[in-house]
Amino acid sequence: MLIEISLFSSIYWYFRSVTPIIEAIDVVKTFGNTQAANHIHLQIPENSIYGLLGPNGAGKTTFIRMVTTISRPDSGKILYKGQALNQNDALKMGYMPEERGLYKKMSVIDQLLFFAEIKGMSRTDAKQEAVKWLTRLEMQTWAGKKLEELSKGMAQKVQFLCTIIHRPEFIILDEPFSGFDPVNADLIKDLIIELRNNGATILFSTHRMDNVEELCDFLCIINNGNVVLNGDSGSIRRKMFAHKYKAGYLTEQSFDNKTFIPLQFEKTTDGRFIYTFHAENNQIEALLQQSTQQGGLIYFAEDLPTIHQIFVDTVKA
Amino acid sequence: MNKIWVILKREYLTRVKNKTFIIMTFLGPLLIALLYGGIILVATKDASDKTPRNVLYNDESGFFNNKLDSVMNFHFVKAPENRETALKKVSSGEFYALMEIKDKNISDLDSVQWISRKTLSLLQKEKVSDLLVNKVYSNKLKQSGLSQGMIDSLKPSTKVSMLEIDETGGIKSSSSGIKSGIGFALAMIVYMFIFLYGSMVMRSALEEKTNRIVEVIVSSVKPFQMMLGKILGVALVGLTQFAAWIVLSIIGVITITTLFGEKIASTVAKAPVAPGGGSQMAAEQFQQSGMMDMLYNLPHLQIITIFLIYFTCGFLLYSSMFAAIGAAVNQETDVQQFMMPISLPLIFGFFIAQSAVFQDPHGPMATIFSIIPFTSPVVMVVRSPFGVPISELLLSIGLLLATFIFMVWITGRIYRIGILMYGKKPTWKQLGKWIFIKD
Repeated sequence: MLIEISLFSSIYWYFRSVTPIIEAIDVVKTFGNTQAANHIHLQIPENSIYGLLGPNGAGKTTFIRMVTTISRPDSGKILYKGQALNQNDALKMGYMPEERGLYKKMSVIDQLLFFAEIKGMSRTDAKQEAVKWLTRLEMQTWAGKKLEELSKGMAQKVQFLCTIIHRPEFIILDEPFSGFDPVNADLIKDLIIELRNNGATILFSTHRMDNVEELCDFLCIINNGNVVLNGDSGSIRRKMFAHKYKAGYLTEQSFDNKTFIPLQFEKTTDGRFIYTFHAENNQIEALLQQSTQQGGLIYFAEDLPTIHQIFVDTVKA
Repeated sequence: MNKIWVILKREYLTRVKNKTFIIMTFLGPLLIALLYGGIILVATKDASDKTPRNVLYNDESGFFNNKLDSVMNFHFVKAPENRETALKKVSSGEFYALMEIKDKNISDLDSVQWISRKTLSLLQKEKVSDLLVNKVYSNKLKQSGLSQGMIDSLKPSTKVSMLEIDETGGIKSSSSGIKSGIGFALAMIVYMFIFLYGSMVMRSALEEKTNRIVEVIVSSVKPFQMMLGKILGVALVGLTQFAAWIVLSIIGVITITTLFGEKIASTVAKAPVAPGGGSQMAAEQFQQSGMMDMLYNLPHLQIITIFLIYFTCGFLLYSSMFAAIGAAVNQETDVQQFMMPISLPLIFGFFIAQSAVFQDPHGPMATIFSIIPFTSPVVMVVRSPFGVPISELLLSIGLLLATFIFMVWITGRIYRIGILMYGKKPTWKQLGKWIFIKD
């Protein structure tokens, strides 16, 4: 049931978005001999959760810095809602860098107000919003505490609030889950989805794949300044599909003299025997037939690569 | 502009709310009041020291034998023939001192030696030599046929008051000592505050950089605005501290004077009345160290205005450089190498303030360095109590302002690049290159 809902919502978000909130056109950025952005083209659809994946040093931060107007591309263009990106657009963005840090000597509430005001929010608005969020996360009692008095997880939550306090329409989160315990990570995950459902677009950059599949509507893998893959996660997985199928059995099987010889075999810890086959589209039924004839078949499925596999494969290639 | 204000407000409020700031604000004047009390105590100590001191004397001229009256708390006893024995008595503490008058001819008393375990204060020394001189003097007068009564009436009491006349013909009392003292104290404050608060600016820039806060806010605030808001905010903290110190110091000094003033006055009055009016002298000296009259007559408004202008401009000039360094480096340990060359002119200025100004506050050295922008914040402040010609002031302030604006521009350009540069510690050459990198 849940899976269906998330599937439908993905499709819904996919068709809903028309103008991308961010569009990078042939963006180039060089530092000395390093190509941090090598003719990057990408579109971040409005109202989506967009995952920017890549190993360390792939050019994620460089791209984010250009989007947040901290630096400018050497050539190429970045459009914000179809218009050339300018300083004022940055006020509508919220950015949480990977290396976290706030003012240690400042109280939680002062911190929130400062970040809201610096993004152009009025003080009264900022106060309302701060109270709303602190109440929502049951942190009211922490409002007057200095940041250095908080636990790491608490400080992370404050950092998250500082990022979204000014109601940004475009939120950039760099490794948002690092440092969170599973409970808080889920809380943040829910918040991210809620923010998206309320109209915000979220770009999140990570090199950890565990949350990507369940969260991201769209993905982009970059490596060495190049966009290696991009699209919605379903079609990326489909695109990377190597026509592999898995058949699971309760007992060990022999495939001597059969049409389909397994490429791989593994025995799971719970005593299942899994064989991976290759089959072209017109051979699927034949493969299925062969598999059922073996006896003791407990499942048969296409082997769509996980985003993790795709990531590792594309980055290694 | 609004953004500068938000930054400034944050810098100001977090510092003013800080415990250290609050403690320093209250402790500072307390220290000043204690120092002031200490000065009073030292000034009155000689007069209040009533322990009788027996002093051995050996007079080779023979003139003073049995003629030496007690002065202050010193009582004179003829020394034994053997010098060694006499010295031993002094070194053992049995006697306070040994005074040797080696002149055979008493018309010139230039070979008098005073050997004691403790050095005499200026006042005591003056008293002792007065005693000898007066003896010789009145003896000569007596020989010329004057009676003791005549001699006493002949001796005028002396007190020279230093007065100063200005262009308009107004006359007021002056004291160059107090002026140097005040000027020097103010220069010291400027000097210390530039370093103290300048390094605050530096640490603040460094904190924002290492915490990556800068990446969050730099897209909505220009680095230049960040830097300006930061140094203005910290400058305001400094000015707030001064304001608090001035108010609290006045309260403190008034309290000390009313609490202990009477006690001091009574000590002075009770001091033994020795020939030559020792206690009277002491009382006068107390008045001098009280300095109230002199203080009232100083050009307050001018001194305070000059101080505030030079503190503010000097601070902004130096702290903009400190800010650029904080933005350029990646950790506090890297700071030292850059701080030293930048601080040198200020340290040099302080040195000039100590030497040149004390010798001649309007001499060429003092004048030149009070006009050069990097040293003027310290040197001009020392000169200020002595009255500085308005033309020199205008030139100096104009240059300082121009340099400040220029430096803020330069350092702003270093700041803008440095704040987003991570990795290796930059070199001077790189800092120079950053100035010319286009946006």
